[in-house]
Amino acid sequence: MPRHDYRWLVVTLANLVLWWLVGLTNHYLAGSVPVYLYLGGLFIAYGALRLDPKHGLTATLLTALLMDAIEPVPFGTSLILFTLVHVTVLYGRHRFPREGAVFAVVVALLANLFLVIALSFLLVGANPRPGTAWLRIFMDLICSQAVIALITPWFIALQDQAMEFMEIHPETGRQVHR
Amino acid sequence: MLPKRFDQARPFVVLAVILLAWIFLPLFAKVFTRATFFEIQAPLIVSDSFVRDLQTFWSNKTHSKDELLKAGQQVAGLIAEYEYSNQRNAYLEGEILRLENLLKIPSMPEYRFEAARVARRDFSAWWQRMIIRKGSNYGITVGAPVVFAGGVVGRVTEVHKYTSVVDLVTSPTLRLAATVAGDTRPVSYQGGLNNSFSSPRGTVDFVPLDVIASPSARKQLVTSGLGIFPPGLTIGEITTLEPSADGLFKNGEVLLDQRLGTLTEVTVLIPLNPEE
Repeated sequence: MPRHDYRWLVVTLANLVLWWLVGLTNHYLAGSVPVYLYLGGLFIAYGALRLDPKHGLTATLLTALLMDAIEPVPFGTSLILFTLVHVTVLYGRHRFPREGAVFAVVVALLANLFLVIALSFLLVGANPRPGTAWLRIFMDLICSQAVIALITPWFIALQDQAMEFMEIHPETGRQVHR
Repeated sequence: MLPKRFDQARPFVVLAVILLAWIFLPLFAKVFTRATFFEIQAPLIVSDSFVRDLQTFWSNKTHSKDELLKAGQQVAGLIAEYEYSNQRNAYLEGEILRLENLLKIPSMPEYRFEAARVARRDFSAWWQRMIIRKGSNYGITVGAPVVFAGGVVGRVTEVHKYTSVVDLVTSPTLRLAATVAGDTRPVSYQGGLNNSFSSPRGTVDFVPLDVIASPSARKQLVTSGLGIFPPGLTIGEITTLEPSADGLFKNGEVLLDQRLGTLTEVTVLIPLNPEE
């Protein structure tokens, strides 16, 4: 009996849980401290580094569509940006120790930096004072990068544990016994 | 066997294919996909709002009866004032109707009030939005004005089955036709000055040169009635005014209500007679 391969679903669901937690955090921060956390780079890290290209790209595409559905950007913006980052990481990942948490943190940080800058160039033009907006974006970026540096090892470990629980090897999809 | 370079560049070929597929995807497919992915997440957004309400309920249950009675007494005075205002409003509305019939002038737009709980706030430098827990199931329409006790909250920009998205008055994408209180000349308000660790502000343009405002002598900015908002609703306070680059008008900053960041309930004004 063929065994179904749900690696893309495991990663997508993990991203959905993180997306929900980030939304909750931003909700509470909005009421007290005007800081906004954007962790787009973290959603791509595991799928781009650990999964095979097909499943990783599927997870990234679905995550990007989930984000695009909520955000007031042209639908498909995150899809294109996330896919661009994902394929860039895929292109160069064999040169680096991608199993380690440190490299995952670096990839998440760089990916997030690119995404924030790209989104800002697309959206900041609508602001009546773009210079002031860039200051706010810079402050939000610093806070977001700090959070990514802190939680990336946890999030990568969470997804690794999820794969282990499902008894699937992340890259090959073969069954592994606990 | 394909050359090694092409094999390594395969991900970028996949990117190009996805990009082309997305560009040529029909619009109805994109609209359907967006709605689907939004509704997938809507229960998560709404559920934590219900959990917060439950937390508040159980927190209130821990208060003693004496504390609740005292709180009720404090609110009783406010309720009496509002009841008087309601009666006065009903009388004034009757007078307006009588004058409209006498002078044969068109009626002012009327609204149905729909109170909605705030499910999620999303305040970034790029946008300032909130999601409320009522949608098309309560007759909410796109473009409906949203208000609270302190004045303007924003405008409904998206309506889904059980939720709606409100673009806040602090958002850089929101523009309103406004007037300085006591004046009839229209000015333009736009949100977007949301610096870190400072109060939310907006900008006002095309202010007449004879209007003067300063941090110690602020001018109230209200809706003009041109557009979707009823006239006279508070937007904020003009704190600074400076001559514009062309010298014909003044530009300035508007200080908005601090409570906008902590709203838990808003009111959507649904037009009773929407324009065709």
